[in-house]
This record gives sequence, C-alpha cells and structure tokens, in this order.
Amino acid sequence: MKRREALQQAALMMGGILSAPTLAGAMGRITNMGPSIDVTAEQEALLAEVADVIIPTTSTPGAKAAGAEKFIVRVMRDCYPKADQEQFYAGLAKLDASSKTKFGKDFIGLDTAQKNEMVKQTMTDDKPFFMRMKELTTTGYFTSEIGATKALEYLPVPGQFNGCMPLKPGQKTWAL
Amino acid sequence: MNLNIDSIKDQTYDAIVIGSGITGGWASKELTEKGLRVLMLEKGHQLEHVKDYEYAMKDPWQTKYNGRLTMAQKESHPKLARDYPYNEMTETYWMKDTDSLYKEDKRFDWYRPNIVGGKSIMWGRQSYRLSDIDFGANLKDGIAIDWPIRYKDVAPWYSYVEKFVGISGEKLNLPQLPDSEFLPPMEMYCVEKEVRKRIEKNFPGRVMTIGRVANLSKAGEAQLGVGRAPCQYRNKCSLGCPYGAYFSTQSCTLPPAAKTGRLTLRPDSVVTEILYDENKKRATGVRIMDAVTLQPKEYYAKIVFVCGSALGSTAVLLNSKSNRFPNGFGNDSGELGHNLMDHHFRTGASGIWEGDLDKYYIGRRANGIYVPRYRNIGTDKRDYLRGFGYQGGGSRTGWQRNIAEMSFGADYKDELTKPGPWTMGLGGFGETLPYHENRMYLDKNEKDKWGMPLVVFDAELKENEKKMRVDMMNDAKEMLEASGLKNVKSYDNGSYLGMAIHEMGTARMGRDPKTSVLNANNQVHGVKNVFVTDGAFMVSASCVNPSLTYMAMTARAADFAVKEMKRQNI
Repeated sequence: MKRREALQQAALMMGGILSAPTLAGAMGRITNMGPSIDVTAEQEALLAEVADVIIPTTSTPGAKAAGAEKFIVRVMRDCYPKADQEQFYAGLAKLDASSKTKFGKDFIGLDTAQKNEMVKQTMTDDKPFFMRMKELTTTGYFTSEIGATKALEYLPVPGQFNGCMPLKPGQKTWAL
Repeated sequence: MNLNIDSIKDQTYDAIVIGSGITGGWASKELTEKGLRVLMLEKGHQLEHVKDYEYAMKDPWQTKYNGRLTMAQKESHPKLARDYPYNEMTETYWMKDTDSLYKEDKRFDWYRPNIVGGKSIMWGRQSYRLSDIDFGANLKDGIAIDWPIRYKDVAPWYSYVEKFVGISGEKLNLPQLPDSEFLPPMEMYCVEKEVRKRIEKNFPGRVMTIGRVANLSKAGEAQLGVGRAPCQYRNKCSLGCPYGAYFSTQSCTLPPAAKTGRLTLRPDSVVTEILYDENKKRATGVRIMDAVTLQPKEYYAKIVFVCGSALGSTAVLLNSKSNRFPNGFGNDSGELGHNLMDHHFRTGASGIWEGDLDKYYIGRRANGIYVPRYRNIGTDKRDYLRGFGYQGGGSRTGWQRNIAEMSFGADYKDELTKPGPWTMGLGGFGETLPYHENRMYLDKNEKDKWGMPLVVFDAELKENEKKMRVDMMNDAKEMLEASGLKNVKSYDNGSYLGMAIHEMGTARMGRDPKTSVLNANNQVHGVKNVFVTDGAFMVSASCVNPSLTYMAMTARAADFAVKEMKRQNI
C-alpha cells in the first residue's frame, strides 16, 4: 500500500478526528515487513488448544476463551526472526505428531488428561518450544481483557497509593 | 506558525529558545513572563498535551505486542533498541535511527526525542539538589576546573522552580543532599519501611528515603492554576500524562508561556547554526532547516537561549563557525565537546523478602526509594573519588513470576492469580569524572538529512568509575543481606556512557575563558547574548539526577539575561 493510501485509510478508520501529528505518528509506526512464515487456521486452532492446557478454564475463563493464540501468532510473526518462527512451529507440529503416535489422535482430539500428558512430555521432548509457548500464553492471557479483568484484579486508575495494607481474603493479583 | 511570512521583521523576536524540553520550556516561560517575545524552536514534531498521548489511556489488550519491539523496529533502530526507553508505546516519541545518524569511536547510547517537550515527556522525574560537596568537588580533588558557583548561588532558584514544578519528598537535613521545597512524600511499601530501619541501624551514616520525584502527591495553587491534577498512581508517566500530574513542558511550563501571548512555538525546526555578527560581536539569530519541507530559514533575536540538550546544543555550537570562532561558537578554550559525562549504573543487588505475606498495596507508585551518597563523605575514604546513590524499591511479585518454571495447568494459573512474595532491589547511580579526552566531535564529511554534520562519540568509563562499581554492587548486596532479605543476588550488567540519559558537560562553565565555554551565568564567554542552560554547562556530574539543577540554572540565567538587557549590557 502506498503511504498516501495508507494515510487515507487510517483517517477513515479513525473517523478523521485525529490531529495531523497523531496521524503521522500512527502511520510512522513500523509494521513487520520482514520475512515471516504463513500460519494456517489449523495451526492457530492448535495453538489455542495447547494454550488452553497451559492456562485452562477454572473458575475463570482460560487462554482459549481469552484469544491468547492471536497474541502468540502476532508476536511470533512480528517480533522473532524467521528461524525462530520455524523452530517454534516445528515444535508445535512435533507435539501434534507425538499425539498421533502415542494416542492415535490429533492433539485437538485428545481428552483433557491426554492433552496434559502430551504437554508434560513436551517439557522434556522440546523444552525451548514449551518455554516459549508458556511465556507467550501467560503474557497473552494475563494482558487480555478476560485475563486481566476476570482472573486478576484490574484497576486502570487507582487514584491513590498505599504501600502497606492488610491483604484482603481472596485478594487477586493486580493485573497492572 | 508564521511559515508564510518572509520579511525580516516578522522573523525577528526578542529571544530565540532552541529546544522545548526541560530547559527550553523553563527558558520560554521565564522570558515570556518577563515581557519578551519568544520564538521556541523544536526539531521534533508537535505533541499536544493530552490529545496526542496516544497510548496513555489504553488498556494492555489494546497494544499489539505488550510493549515488545518488532523485528522491523529492531532493524530500523539498531541503537535505540539497545535499551528499554524505546518500545512499542513510545515509538513515535524518539527519533528514528535512520534520521538520528551518529558515529561511535567508542560505544555511546544517544537517546534523542523527536517531539515537542523533548525528554520532559519520558524522563524519570527523580529530582535532587546538588550540594556544596558537589560544587566544591573538583577544587578539592584538584581535577578539571572549579565550579564558578556554589550552592548558595543556586539555592533560591531551586526553591523557585520547585514551588512551581511540585517535588514530592521527605526532609532529611543531609549535607550531601539538601532538601527541596517538598510536597508530601509518597508512602513506602512494608518491605521498604523495614529495610530502611535496618539499613539505618546496621550502617550508621547511611539513610534510605522515598524518592524525590516531580509527580504531584498533592496539587497546590501553582499547579492547579496551570491545569494540573494530582498523581493518579497509574505508573504510565513516560507515555505522557493526561492528568498533567508530573512535570513536563506540556503540563507545566508551556501553559504559562502560552498564556502571555508572547510565545511562538515552531516544531519541525532543526537548528543548524547560530548566526554571528563579526562587527557587533554578538549573535544575531539562528539558521534552521525545516524538518518537513527541508527548506532553510533564518530567525533573528536579541538573545539566544541554547536548550537543545547537552549534546544537541553542543553539536549546534560546534557547527556555528565564523572568522571569530573558527572552531565552533564560543570555543576559544577548545573545551567545547569535551568533558562529556553521564552517570554509570546497571549494577546492584536484589533479594526476596519472606515477611509481610499478609500485606498488600493499592496503586502503582511511579517512584522508588533513594539511598543518598555515603561514600567519600566525612571520614569515609575509598580508593576512588566521589560516590554514588541508590535507587530501587520493593514490590510484591505478580503474574509475571514463575514464567521460567517447568509448570502449567490449573495449579499454575491459580498460583499466579494470587500475589507472590515481596522483593527488594537497590541499583547504584555513580558519578563519572570529567575527563578532557571524553568527547564528542563533528564528522568532517558526513551529514544527516538536515545538513548537520554527524556527531561522533569518543568517550568511555575509566578506572575511577570501574573501582566505584565494585562498591556499588557489593554494598547493595551487603545492605540487603543485613536487612534480612533472602537469596540476595548481585549483578553488574555493564554501563556505557549515554545509557543513563544524563549526558552533560560538553560546554562547561568556569571563571576562566581559557578553560571553559560559559561563565557563571551560563553566558558564552565573549558573546554576551547567548546562553547555554541545558546539561552542557555542568562542570562535574554529581551522582544525583541532574534535571532539577538544569531547571534552576535556566531560571537563574533567564533572570540575569533580562536584567542585563534592561541595563543595556546585552
């Protein structure tokens, strides 16, 4: 897209209310133009399943409900070199393949206990994949609207500071 | 912004202020309030208060990467991406590396803002007075040159700016860290209160206090009057504060300057040169390059305040050559560009606090604790000169903990939704000595897109700083362990000049024009109508955060300049 078209599109999206500098700033932001691998809908769905094992639904919704896989796909695509992306998605494919070998089913088709077993196995089979998947799932989840406001306590404008007060029973971690 | 008016009269003001950051804002406020018509030139783009703080009110899920840099950003900003101030949310606040070209004979991290307000938007807001121990240090140690001023010369100006800015902090009556005009101090976390008691008990002469910070713990008349509100404890200061709760040009100095009706602000204006009249022996104005149209333009004034950040201002001075000043404006001494200083940091210790699990906190305090300098003071004598202070603080760990553990599932999630243990850390900020050979200079061949020769850095930390760093790391560990913290780990992540963003000293003041660039009033030796009031004037670095001193010295110089104009000495 040419810069002019991009600016016009941004102006439309933002209702044309932004000041010129803000608009220029918004358009000056760099989106990833570097090499990246294409992620299929199947891979994204698989990521959501694995993420949901790492942070499952309990009394509050889990990673899949929070859409953590979207964050994972976006960060892997834009913030990591292509070699890391390939390694990451190879780890994901290996997890799926191992599920078939062990249980004769895709990872998505496994029951909860089997999914847990496969993710546990990944901790030793492919530790780098597990650690990155865990890190991105955790960050994606707790910075999502569901994670921040339901699993944690979200207070965007505290308006006060008290550094030493009694912990209330059932107090959740601050999201920020 | 007067872009269409070409007549010399309309390009003429009483004063030109180069830069709109911490000192440019103060210079413009003081000069306009004293009746001068001021043109404030800023190389960066406009950033309107509140309206343009794009990320300030966004929720975490409205960011794309939760602050991470993309590969493209890392590639296009190889230097800026070295450290945290440049991130997803502040992308448009800093200059692109591709525009901010500079060279490194030795590594130097140069953070150049690209906005009206300059670094006053992203600064750390820690605000401390220098003391007579600092102003007398070079004389006592017999290095570099003596400061031409002492604490008593600046003290009333510290008070003057503090009453307007609003500095939150605690009175201590320490000789090495004079008290400011304080707003109420912010509170400490439980762990900090306990560590403070134990440090002060176990290490006589050492003190721990809450950070002195330019955030409004309470808004007084002076602050409410310019539309500022008290701190909301969001800890998102560096994105720009919609409440105007911390000092920035936009929140604090621009409103009163604009109110006079005598201020013209021209963003996108890269000052390339100060114009010198060989006959009148004074500056007549400046030449700029319009950053957008790439057209040069001249502006004229009776006085020029150079407030473009220490290194930015020095580059302009070095590039302003005339028959009278063939080596750079006011550079009879040959010191211009030399004596480059910063603070050195990124070393200290942290540990786990096992108590207070039944305690929590509310609010995100955009401030830490401070341990004032105690080394080489009184009877303490080390194998290096000067000293350091500690910044740091306690916190109760949250959901980010245990990411690196081999765990997952319902138990992992449940654990993270409950507060974790308390931690406490101390990180040293050390004084760097003024070495003549630590310098910046202009490249003879290469220029940037605005026609400015590229700045080259040739400066490094030396033995004195390296010896000090050993104490900075070990003392932190010792104090935390003596305070009862567990699993205390010390670190030295290495520090390069520029990283602390306290760069200073490249146009130092002094009594003798043969060894200094400015006199005791920040006036260029030999050119009465040019003043440099940003960090370039510093003669020694102290170990405290310097911005408050720049503010005080700017207000002082503006007062002197206008009095001299009235006396017709300028």
